[in-house]
Amino acid sequence: MLRPIRVHLVYLEGQVKRVALLAVVMLLTLAAPAAAQEGRRISVGELLQEAATVNGQVVVVGELIGDYGFRSDGSMWTQLNGDTYAYDPTLEGGPLTGGNVGVAVRIPTAIAELLDKPGGYRVRGPVVRVVGQWEYHDPHRGGESYIDVTALDILEPGQGLVEHPNYLVIAVGFVLIAAAALLRRGSIRARR
Amino acid sequence: MLVKPTAEDFRVVLSNLGRISTLVGFAGVIPLLWAVIGREWAPASSFILMIGVFFLLGSMASRIRVQRHRLDWSHGMVVVALAWLLVPAVAAVPLALSGHYASFLDAVFDAMSGLTTTGLALVQDLDHLASSLNFWRHLLHFIGGQGIVIAALSIFAGGGAVTLYLGEARDERILPSVRSTARFIWAAALVHLVAGVTALTLVAWLVLGFQLPRSLFHGLMVFFAAFDTGGFAPQSTSLGYYHSVIFEFTASVLMVAGAMSFGVHYALWKRRYSSVMLNLETRTILLTFGATLAAAILGLAATGQFATTIGLTRYGFFQVLSAHTGTGFGTVSVPELAGWTGLAYGGVTIAMALGGMGSSTAGGVKSLRIGITVRTIVTQIKQVLVPEGALVARSYFQNTKMKLTPELSQGAMTISLLYVAMYLLGAAVAIGYGYGLREALFEAISAGANVGLSVGITDPMMPALLKVTYIAQMWLGRLEFVACFALFGFIWSTWRGK
Repeated sequence: MLRPIRVHLVYLEGQVKRVALLAVVMLLTLAAPAAAQEGRRISVGELLQEAATVNGQVVVVGELIGDYGFRSDGSMWTQLNGDTYAYDPTLEGGPLTGGNVGVAVRIPTAIAELLDKPGGYRVRGPVVRVVGQWEYHDPHRGGESYIDVTALDILEPGQGLVEHPNYLVIAVGFVLIAAAALLRRGSIRARR
Repeated sequence: MLVKPTAEDFRVVLSNLGRISTLVGFAGVIPLLWAVIGREWAPASSFILMIGVFFLLGSMASRIRVQRHRLDWSHGMVVVALAWLLVPAVAAVPLALSGHYASFLDAVFDAMSGLTTTGLALVQDLDHLASSLNFWRHLLHFIGGQGIVIAALSIFAGGGAVTLYLGEARDERILPSVRSTARFIWAAALVHLVAGVTALTLVAWLVLGFQLPRSLFHGLMVFFAAFDTGGFAPQSTSLGYYHSVIFEFTASVLMVAGAMSFGVHYALWKRRYSSVMLNLETRTILLTFGATLAAAILGLAATGQFATTIGLTRYGFFQVLSAHTGTGFGTVSVPELAGWTGLAYGGVTIAMALGGMGSSTAGGVKSLRIGITVRTIVTQIKQVLVPEGALVARSYFQNTKMKLTPELSQGAMTISLLYVAMYLLGAAVAIGYGYGLREALFEAISAGANVGLSVGITDPMMPALLKVTYIAQMWLGRLEFVACFALFGFIWSTWRGK
């Protein structure tokens, strides 16, 4: 439903393009909840397991993480993680549940520019629901596998996380360094 | 009769171990600075603790009075073997304190994997890991790849340097002295560091559209992992994270450079191109790479996963190169790699087992040993076919014309067989825990050949004994057995010697 609008953007220039982009963003945002109902709901883990057999539109939920790579073709590439760490961050004592489970997403720049910074250390990235075409080894993009996003809902905005330095660890570390320096000084004196 | 090591033997070993500990402690200051600059206070505190442990061990060793300063063969080997156990154990401290590891054993697993340039990882939630800790993981590749002992040699080389050098499975002396050879290795690494990081950063910034500081971060991390044929990556999806042929190509150049022996680097530096191409080692690796690549591409084509030749070649080429150089980067997900069948799976598995060139950061059997083994077999067959009394030429070209002596053939075959035995033993342990033969063999080869590709067995939930098995395989594979056996002999002599 939304794909033709994006295709038309290619032919727009300058101010017209900016206005049109804003309009598209609004349209996409408004259309997103409805669009989110389209396609097969699937977890990232399932998508990776069944990568070769999944066809067509998919609806996936997860945290945007890492970097936003803005390409010259008007798209932004990033990673969407469908693991538990978005909801129970490790930094805040959340349980360890294994490795990250991520898939590539290609998002139109117009939408991407509205997103909070991606997840990383001390940052929980925006949790989003994306609707898009699952492209498995896309022949038009050198064999890449990714979700070509057509609609996106922001379920939770990105948020900062607080780290907790362990002062006991620092103290023990400095005591060890001091002890090492004293021992070293002693051995140098003994050699003299 | 076994001779029991004397107290002086222990003092020599501990004294040299202390030097290495101090040196790695200084290396730990770099991630500490990184953490302080990035205001990552929790990792910074754990780096202080790690540095304290390294320095304390070094200072304690400095108080040991050694009468005989020259290292003999056995001392050097024992020092190397112990250093490669001690350093990961202490380097694991900041990883363990990060909250991203289920146990200290998991952190030691990753530290050993980093130091031995393997790349298998048990870290959880890598995508939220502090950048300074990520940097430390990758710096371990660089420290291990360039050789802790070589670094020690470069700075305070004393007598007996040759044994330390050989202990790290670097049997090729490029320049007249070991010290100058060690310095050449470091100089070559630094040239590649500048060129490689610049190239990767520019690609990430200009082509991938990352922010410049993040581009530099990715450039540095991927350089360490590619040039040292390590395989760690800053993000959980490995090199598949970048979705870029240009980025993969740039990394590939560095992976090839890392898998080349420093003798070849030196020859290329001196523009002795024809000599390089005549080398038995070069010819062997080109042949084995071509064969495994052809197998993998044919196998992938049969699966029908790729609609175009470009995609097929791109993914097939990168995975085989990653396997053969011992890097372990992936551009396909673990479930997808595990799903590869037939020739594709076989091609990647065999490429991992064979490995790169000798005296490089790559693991595996190594192409020179394969070349010598094949040449020996061919010579034996020729000897049978020629008339009685006729002589068959027993030589090969490796920088110069070399004699194919029975000792050399025996040595190459013995180490090759030890690798095969290690692969099989590692697989047997996994099979014992109920994993399939195919997966068990793949993972055991990946650990023993210091590659780092995984089909899913390496996981925080895997049994502790299997983790220990892979740690041992990484250690044995990196040191190519000799130093490890010397340590076992030392321990045995201490116990049973007279």
